[in-house]
Amino acid sequence: MKHWDLAEEDQLVDLGPALDGKAAEGDGTWRESFDPQILALGQLKGVQYTLPYYVMIYGWWYDPEVFKKNGWTVPKTYSELLTLSDKIKKKGMAPITFQGKYPYYMIDGMLLPWVQSIGGIDAVNAAQNLEEGAWNSPAMLQATERIVELKQKGFFQEGATSMSHTEAQQEFVQGKAAMVPCGSWLFSEMKKTMPATAKMEYFLPPFIDGGKGDPTAVLIGIEPWMVPTEAKNKEAAIELFKYMTSLSVAKKFVQEKGTLMAIKGSDDGELPDVLKVPSKTLRESKAVYSVQFRHWYPTLSTELENGLTSLLNGQISAKEFCDRAEAAADKVRKDPNITKHKV
Amino acid sequence: MRNTKGRNAFIFAFLSPAVLIYAVFLVWPLLQSFQMSMYRWRGVSRNRKFIGAENFNNLFQDPVFWKSLQNTGTLLVVAGIATIALGVLLAHLTDGDGAVRKFARAIYLFPQVISLVAVALIWQFQLNPKYGLVTDMLFRIGLPVRDPGIVRDPRYAFSAIAVAFVWHALGFFVLLFSAGLKQISGEIKEASALDGSEGWHRFRHVTWPLLWSVKRTAITYLLIHILTVFALVFVMTEGGPDRGTETIVSYLYEQIAKNGQYGYASALAVVVFGVSMVASLAVLAYFRKDPTAGARA
Repeated sequence: MKHWDLAEEDQLVDLGPALDGKAAEGDGTWRESFDPQILALGQLKGVQYTLPYYVMIYGWWYDPEVFKKNGWTVPKTYSELLTLSDKIKKKGMAPITFQGKYPYYMIDGMLLPWVQSIGGIDAVNAAQNLEEGAWNSPAMLQATERIVELKQKGFFQEGATSMSHTEAQQEFVQGKAAMVPCGSWLFSEMKKTMPATAKMEYFLPPFIDGGKGDPTAVLIGIEPWMVPTEAKNKEAAIELFKYMTSLSVAKKFVQEKGTLMAIKGSDDGELPDVLKVPSKTLRESKAVYSVQFRHWYPTLSTELENGLTSLLNGQISAKEFCDRAEAAADKVRKDPNITKHKV
Repeated sequence: MRNTKGRNAFIFAFLSPAVLIYAVFLVWPLLQSFQMSMYRWRGVSRNRKFIGAENFNNLFQDPVFWKSLQNTGTLLVVAGIATIALGVLLAHLTDGDGAVRKFARAIYLFPQVISLVAVALIWQFQLNPKYGLVTDMLFRIGLPVRDPGIVRDPRYAFSAIAVAFVWHALGFFVLLFSAGLKQISGEIKEASALDGSEGWHRFRHVTWPLLWSVKRTAITYLLIHILTVFALVFVMTEGGPDRGTETIVSYLYEQIAKNGQYGYASALAVVVFGVSMVASLAVLAYFRKDPTAGARA
């Protein structure tokens, strides 16, 4: 659903007034139920057109049993990742697999977190805001070079470039690859085909050594909820959503579905095992950031994905990749028919 | 006079449901596409702006459009020739009424009766770099097909689409050419045999020219089928790697589903319509006069 197109064309109800009303439970306003940073992701020019329901957090996954058995430790930094990957490769296992058929997984799991590591969230947001030179900035180039380095060292699983998300993730849960970048939906997506003995645990993408970014920053995403202006019963839709986001219902949702929510306190209490680390990571993070340009500028996103495939195939260099990205950003920047957004 | 009127009313009554359905579901949307191609429209509200020929101007300056047109043309030539050549060959090999031959024709037809999406999924599975049977066979004969994997390798991805298309379409063309072969009179076969024309010579100078009307049907059908190929590309490669298998219809879909550019997508649809129309008319014009008419049974 192209929700920003809907918002720009006045097809969505401004939910601000409803948020300032009473919440379904407790004495506070409905607005106070939400984490404000996450709530802001549903705003366009200060107007709240969409509301977050569940929250996805992006990162990497490993099997703690496999790591423990082999004496491996989770890599916190990129240099630790290189050392570990070398050990894993020598064991005859692929260190990293990825969902190459859909390159945005790698953009969200490696490229942008490493841009954040090197240049901070500002470097990521400058690119999202289409600031001149942000897509071929030194931070972007260095982050891209890390991807090339991992490829050249043979740390990516053979054939991963052509694997779909489920194919690559299946390789991971079957123990053929030690790590995979993915969002917090991984368990629910793979639980039906996961061997009974397999485990999975979340960790933040390894931080680039010496980078000026925030090692605790987490890349998040939301699934937006909205009310159409032409809906017959807008009030009832809002009431239903109020109920769904009330603390007791949200807690139940988190526990039953194994997904984090945008509601404050919804991850209190006993969580499913697979959510414990993501929840702790999100609570301990000093900042969150989100990929928004994909919805705002789909042509730029497609060009990045195409360029990334060529980069992985060795057809273009890291610099050429960044220059292609900058050229695509420039095309969007200069197109008067595309509405420009700011993070 | 009264009889003629009654006959016309009878014809009208029976034709009108089909004509109505055709008009509502085909002609009207087609006309709407023409209209929409002159608007900037995101498809989420009634808000649209008339921009005349701007979509077409942008389209003709869009390198991805030309690349997708080129890919579609190459697919038409490569997969088209392969389908017809294999169709004729297999029709010859299975010509006759024996049980084995009938069974073989049914086997060839099997991929034709399953949906293109299922065909694409079967091939995606067969081409998986880790456990795909086809990948494994190609690897064993020495081809470096395991990394990045066939569907993401610029050397092989296009061929993979062409092979999957031929595999899917072949059965229909085997049947078509089998029917064509049956139309050729036994007397002609006997006469040519008496004249010493056998094998390749007979095929080239007798059989192939006599398949005139079948060739016309086959080429027109292939044209329309390949110019609008979408599911195979979308499921197997999504137009990748890096636009390597992008076809004109997969690019049209991207304009709607990813970019929300309904006007631009309509301009692409108009171009597909124009190319299909011109190509089909050219085929019909070329095959209009059958020089072998009357030579068949």
